[in-house]
Amino acid sequence: MKLLDLMRLALGRLGTGKMRTGLTMLGIIIGVASVVALVSVAQGATKGISDQLNALGTNLLTVNPGFVRGAVTRGSFGGATTLTIADASAITGLDGVQAVAPELATSKLVIAGTQNETASIVGTTPAYLSVFAYDIWTGTFISQASVDQNLRVAVIGATTADNLSLTDSSIGSTIYIGGLPFELVGILQSKGGTGSEDDRVIVPLSTARELFVGSTSVSSIGLSATSQDAITTVSAEITALLDQRHGITAGATADFSITTQAQLLGTVSSVSDVLTLLLAGIASISLLVGGIGIMNIMLVSVRERTREIGIRKAIGARGRDILSQFLVEALALSLAGGAIGILFGVLASFAIGVYAGWGFVFNPITVVAAVGFSLVVGIVFGVWPASQAARLDPVVALRYE
Amino acid sequence: MSAHAVEPIIELENVSRIYDTGRVQVPALVDANLTVAKGEFMAIIGPSGSGKSTMMNILGCLDRPTSGRYILDGQPVDELDDNGLAYVRSRSIGFVFQSYNLLPRTSALENVATPLMYQGVGRKERLSRAQAALERLGLGDRLDHEPSELSGGQQQRVGIARALVTEPALILADEPTGNLDSHSGAEVLSIFKDLHSLGRTIVLITHDIDVATAADRGVHIRDGQLYEAVLS
Ligand SMILES: Nc1ncnc2c1ncn2[C@@H]1O[C@H](COP(=O)(O)OP(=O)(O)OP(=O)(O)O)[C@@H](O)[C@H]1O
Ligand SMILES: [Mg+2]
Repeated sequence: MKLLDLMRLALGRLGTGKMRTGLTMLGIIIGVASVVALVSVAQGATKGISDQLNALGTNLLTVNPGFVRGAVTRGSFGGATTLTIADASAITGLDGVQAVAPELATSKLVIAGTQNETASIVGTTPAYLSVFAYDIWTGTFISQASVDQNLRVAVIGATTADNLSLTDSSIGSTIYIGGLPFELVGILQSKGGTGSEDDRVIVPLSTARELFVGSTSVSSIGLSATSQDAITTVSAEITALLDQRHGITAGATADFSITTQAQLLGTVSSVSDVLTLLLAGIASISLLVGGIGIMNIMLVSVRERTREIGIRKAIGARGRDILSQFLVEALALSLAGGAIGILFGVLASFAIGVYAGWGFVFNPITVVAAVGFSLVVGIVFGVWPASQAARLDPVVALRYE
Repeated sequence: MSAHAVEPIIELENVSRIYDTGRVQVPALVDANLTVAKGEFMAIIGPSGSGKSTMMNILGCLDRPTSGRYILDGQPVDELDDNGLAYVRSRSIGFVFQSYNLLPRTSALENVATPLMYQGVGRKERLSRAQAALERLGLGDRLDHEPSELSGGQQQRVGIARALVTEPALILADEPTGNLDSHSGAEVLSIFKDLHSLGRTIVLITHDIDVATAADRGVHIRDGQLYEAVLS
């Protein structure tokens, strides 16, 4: 039999039971759509995070207190107190270092007019702006003078400003941080993306220490290298400097760790690979269920059409003609379901991408894989019912009521 | 017309068909010997349970004899495999069934064209041949009708067109008038007579001796055994 004849038979058959055809395809539609959408979500999220990391400044290095190395953990990110303001000043003097911004992080209730929210508070220096690649949207950033004089001034991120209903006309007004009055001097430009970079309140380092933390340690030290190429040498310099300052000898474990942007990007991409695999795996389960749905309906169909199979054999069909007829029907179901699934999956990825803010991430490989998957599902779950049909004894089949 | 004068199309030599139900063995056909010549119109007559359908399944290559030889159109078919039997059915046999056995939800034209599809004939040619066959049976205005939209007599004529369209060596009809009223039944029988006069070989299986008189030769079958019959 010719392929065209088989396709005509299959389409005619699927057209006669539209409800059943639709319901059978639904399993494959949902399966393929979720594979396409979830893989795109995983890739979109990765792209979003990478974009944000790049927005932080590609020359960025972060020194954190504590360390994670081998099996021993001492201190932890944000919790340990081994880095000091003096360390930050010492790093400023190193070759290849452009700017250094120590950070003292805490969290406080912030009140502006009738609005309030608990925000993360960052005490830092004017270098923060350039190190973390922020821009001022309105007003000014905290000045060196305000750091020197422990002034109660604050600059807030775009999201915090939104949440507290603060706009450019609010510059100069008073907001309360942890119950204490601060003058709002500036609002930062949004970095976009979904991260927390836009949800923070920045105050002078000295003010934060005096009012909120009361120690000479810092939560972390951010710094920018003069170029991307300098990152490795700067990182080595800092290690040597801090080893010396903290009295760490060769072989002993350090009480700080250095994270570079490149490392972060590497981590993100490996996490995202796992995430993609996981989501695709979960979605494949629904594809499997869809395949079983096809097999079920094909088995029912073979039974219902036993007499038809007998007639076809009597008028000259060979076993393999019957086999290909049922197989092509199963394939038509799974491929049509796959095509509709891709359509829905792409629409869903588009909607999610727009909503989540990482834009439309579309990978043609996913579509090719989805089509391949539907084909495999059609063959795997269609072959058995089809061979049942092909093996029917024509005498028995013709007598079947 | 004598069976010995012309080439035989069917030769059964000591053909038996014994159904093995596991507990008992049912001999449905016992040592049958039969020769049908090309161009003959032959009736096989017998009561219910006598082995008529068993006979037709074997003649039609839907089933194999348990023992004996069956030569169809010069070719021994008793030892063919499933594909070989399918090939013989496709090329040499046209079936007409009591219950028409048309493909449901399929137009008369497509029904008649289907045997040609299994022969690998191209779509254009098979549709035009199917149309010609239907027109010959007076169904030129019913090409697009599905079986459910046709009367019993019309359905049986579609069935006959389907059996004819491949120009088979042998037309096998099992109780073709069984489901029809006397008028439609007579019509179908006159179609068979016409086909016979055009030189076709027809084997008609029936329990009804009146129907059998349409043929020019007959055998009785009783308890799986064949006896030469005298048709009035
Ligand atoms: N598959 C089978 N297994 C066991 N016995 C069978 C089978 N098919 C037919 N028989 C038996 O073989 C005998 C002949 O059956 P067959 O169907 O050939 O009769 P028939 O002449 O066609 O009868 P009817 O006119 O009622 O159709 C019957 O006794 C029947 O019970
Ligand atoms: Mg019978």
